[in-house]
Amino acid sequence: MKKIYNEEENKFSELLKDLKDLPKIKAPDNFEYNLLTRIQNKNFGKKMKEKKHFSWAKFLAPSAVVATTIILFFIFFPSSQENNNQLLQQTKLQNNQSAVNNSTSAKNELKDQQSVPSNTKLQSNSSSLLGVNNQTAKPSSRSPLYDSRAIKLDDYISGSNKNQSNTNRGNIVNNGEEPSQYDGFIVSEKPDKKTLERYRAVVDSIKKAQLKADSLKKVQK
Amino acid sequence: MNKLLTEFSDEELIKEYQDHNTPEAYDILVKRYKDPLMNFVYRFVGDRDICTDVVQDTMIKFYLNKDSYRSFAKFSTWIYTIAGNLAKNELKRRRRRVIFSIDNSDDERSPQIEDKMFLAPDKAADGEMRNEIIQKALLKVKPVYREVVILRDIQDLSYEEISEITGLAIGTVKSRINRGRAQLQKLLKHIYRE
Repeated sequence: MKKIYNEEENKFSELLKDLKDLPKIKAPDNFEYNLLTRIQNKNFGKKMKEKKHFSWAKFLAPSAVVATTIILFFIFFPSSQENNNQLLQQTKLQNNQSAVNNSTSAKNELKDQQSVPSNTKLQSNSSSLLGVNNQTAKPSSRSPLYDSRAIKLDDYISGSNKNQSNTNRGNIVNNGEEPSQYDGFIVSEKPDKKTLERYRAVVDSIKKAQLKADSLKKVQK
Repeated sequence: MNKLLTEFSDEELIKEYQDHNTPEAYDILVKRYKDPLMNFVYRFVGDRDICTDVVQDTMIKFYLNKDSYRSFAKFSTWIYTIAGNLAKNELKRRRRRVIFSIDNSDDERSPQIEDKMFLAPDKAADGEMRNEIIQKALLKVKPVYREVVILRDIQDLSYEEISEITGLAIGTVKSRINRGRAQLQKLLKHIYRE
């Protein structure tokens, strides 16, 4: 091992000689004086004087911070967003509209309940309740705002609506079980005349029976 | 008393300074080591002003942390370790400054070796010029190799002492010295024709 290193030293002999002959650097004359002054003044901090270099890198970090704060301000500032968001405004309109529709439809249903027999009453009650719930949960499902996109189910079933596109038909098929998210879906029901007459006859007979019962009660009294 | 102190070994002086806080012991040690440390740090950093500051800081550290010296180590290795660490830190700081400053116009600090095409042979032979070229080449060698080459070939320290100063195994020290020399020789190939 020693031989290898000796051989290496021989290889660099000229270089080693030059390195050994390099002039010895000496400390400046005032080295000790300066050192003692520093110790006496307790100046133990960094004495290294760093030359101030101008560099763009110094400005990078603060400018990046400023830029990000400005961007975040515009992104998350709430009032500016609310004023500009058309979608939110539309949903508000839809909510208002659906509330109005709810009240009118509830009145209509109450009227219907008075004229419909008890079995159908229950169904209509539950359906009206469901309808109210659905409207509150998904107010856009019965909204008539987008008539151009709406589908009339009766026309579709009867085949008279020829203007509907295939995509709309697909939506009908897909959303058959659940109330649709589609905001222009309107179900317009036209009651059958025969069933109406049947229901009226039933109601009339009930009314007659009630009148007879009332008259019997009066007689008994 | 003073005469006696000058005859003390380094280890005796530091012991005297540690035990009795004798300022003369400190002064003597500063006088003994200021020049070797200046030479070592100058060859490592390549700037006389920075080198003076580094050695001053080394002496301040010695003054403040005298109790951290343990008597089983040699005083020379302890003080060289401090100076070496400060010099390395200074180098790192300078390198960072060079990286971050876009308009770095300080050509004096970036070591450059003259191209042999522009160096006349009679000039290369000239001692002063030769020393300057060697110093610049030394600054081009990787710091890990440069340190051990300086300690071994310029400061004339033993492998054991270098091992203690750098905290490396002796084998690693030897191989690093060898690599450092090879790098230096390669950089100075126009001077040393094989």
